[in-house]
Formats: sequence, C-alpha cells, structure tokens
Amino acid sequence: MRITEHPILEFQRGEEVTFFFEGQELKGFEGETIAAALHAAGIKVLGHSPNMHRPRGLFCAIGNCSSCLMVVNGEPNIRICVEKLKPGMRVETQQGKGCLK
Amino acid sequence: MLNKTGVPTLEDIQTVSPSEERLKKGPVAIIECFQEIPCNPCTEACKQGAIRPMEDINNLPKLDLDKCNGCGVCLSRCPGLAIFIVDASYSDTEAIVRIPYEYYPVPQVGEKVVGLNRAGDELGTFEVSKVQSGGQKNKTYTIWLIVPQSLAMEVRGLRLRSTEIQPKETIVCRCEDITLGEIQALIKEGYSTIDEIKRAARAGMGPCQGRTCRMLIAQELAKFYSIPVGEVLMPTFRPTVKPVKLGTYAGGE
Repeated sequence: MRITEHPILEFQRGEEVTFFFEGQELKGFEGETIAAALHAAGIKVLGHSPNMHRPRGLFCAIGNCSSCLMVVNGEPNIRICVEKLKPGMRVETQQGKGCLK
Repeated sequence: MLNKTGVPTLEDIQTVSPSEERLKKGPVAIIECFQEIPCNPCTEACKQGAIRPMEDINNLPKLDLDKCNGCGVCLSRCPGLAIFIVDASYSDTEAIVRIPYEYYPVPQVGEKVVGLNRAGDELGTFEVSKVQSGGQKNKTYTIWLIVPQSLAMEVRGLRLRSTEIQPKETIVCRCEDITLGEIQALIKEGYSTIDEIKRAARAGMGPCQGRTCRMLIAQELAKFYSIPVGEVLMPTFRPTVKPVKLGTYAGGE
C-alpha cells in the first residue's frame, strides 16, 4: 500500500528498482527508505521483540526507536526506516541482537 | 511553563481571549501564538487589516478585534495550527469552534467527533457542522465543531473516535518489552525517577537507549506526583548519543 494522496505532502519517487526480502524479489523506488518499500509490498512485520517475541513493525520511522533493525546485505542492526533503498539490496529479518561475521 | 509542558497556561490564554461581549458579536480569530519565532504568514493572510504587520518578524501577532470578521483565512495559513475561530453568536447554548486539521480521513459534515482541549484531553463528542478545504495552495482543512457555549474557549483539537489505553497491552519500552502496567506498578511501589525505573526494569537500556520510553516514563511520573513533566529528573546522558558502528571507532570506515 502506498499513500498517493495527502492533504499536505507531495511525493516525488525515484526510478523503480528490484530488491530482495528473504530471497523474494520485490520492487521499490530508488531513494525511498527500505521500510517504505517493504510496506508498499505489504510486509509490515520487520522483526520480533527480544523477550516476548511479539511482532515489531515500523514505529518512529525517523531512526530513533530501533524497532526496525534488520540485516541488510549481510550487515545486522540496520535501521531500515532511514536507510535508502538501492538496486539489488538483500534484506532479511534479524534474529535476536544480530550476529557479526 | 509552555516551554516545559507544551500547553499554554490560563494566563497565556487570557492575553488572547476576546471579551464576552466581542465573542457574542460573532466569529473572531483566537491567535494562540505565545512564542516569539520568525513567522508572519498570518499578517500576510489577513485581508481585513485586523492582524497588523509586524515591526520585527519575531513579534507575536496582534489582532484588532473590531476589524476581525472571523473569515478564517489566517487559520488555515498558520503553520503552527495556532489560530482558531470562535463564533459564540451561533445560538444561546452552543458556539462554533473552527479548528485546523491536517489528517486523512477528513471528518464529514454531521459526523460526531471527540473534542480535545489544549492538553489533548477528551472533552466530549461534538457534531461537525462544516468542512472547508484549504484549496490547492494551502491544503489545511478547517473543521467546524458545534460545542456548548461553556467549552467555546476550551475545545482546540479533535479526534475521530475515543481512545482508551489498556495498561497491560500498551508497550512503553519497545526494546525491552515493558508495558505501561509494569511501569505504573513500579511507580506505585515507590520508584520515583527514570533512572530507578531503568535499573529495576531495564526500560531505556535497549538499542534505542531510551529515546522512545524516556519521556513516556517521565509523563507517568509527572502524572503520579502531579508535577510538570519538565521537573521530572532526567537520567544521566552519556555518549554516544546515536548508534555508531564499531568500525568507526576502529578506524576501519
């Protein structure tokens, strides 16, 4: 789902690009955040809370809350709400605190 | 006080409140602008000459209550959504309050919505009598609410439906999965600062370092001890203040 109409904001999108979520090919627009592209593709569960393992979605969307940490191109703990989408990116759900390789 | 709570005080409001007599005469703008910031779209918007040009752009707007006809152009032009139109001449018992609104869905005429005061507390359910679009250039909607005369100077916001907070379900600290109920229980037990609650519950020790929960816990403490949020003792702030990669310290990137 994308917002196409808003009382105040206007939307200028970049070129359409392909990226991967858990190996699944998805389309997004270059320059938007990874979170925006995932939401547009209907993916709203970005991870799980550490203790009670409840699904976690987008919360602050400005890089504050760390609700959206995911593994991007093999690197864990990426705040996907502020990280811009690039062609061919591999985005994966993070388990626990993430693992450095 | 406004700086600490975000809510104007009674004294602040009194400085911009028209007399009962003026309110009864018909629609008038209430400019609830209390901070000297460089901003003047309201002076440009007013075609009646009621909002006088500012000598210094940091000045607060001054309204000529006799010239203001309550047209509402300034209301939708104020970037701070700080201007309201009150029409106490609507009927003997009811008044119209016009409120700027910038969300979808926009309420419909005849719909009942929840009116809020300046602090965001619910004041009751009121009917929408008119909805005005701000047009292409401006976009801010103006929602007309029918409210009792006694609330004409109180209703300043609206919400489409009432919300009831469930302490056991409401998460305050997202990183450590701590609910409002748990925080409230700790406060009742006597934990009286954010730091104490942090040490007891780990709220604020996750990846976001309290950026989400810190002020929410402060609010709960303020409510419990009946003090302004600004007076709640803050925890110690230490570097780093934002996430930094280990590689940055190691000099690798």
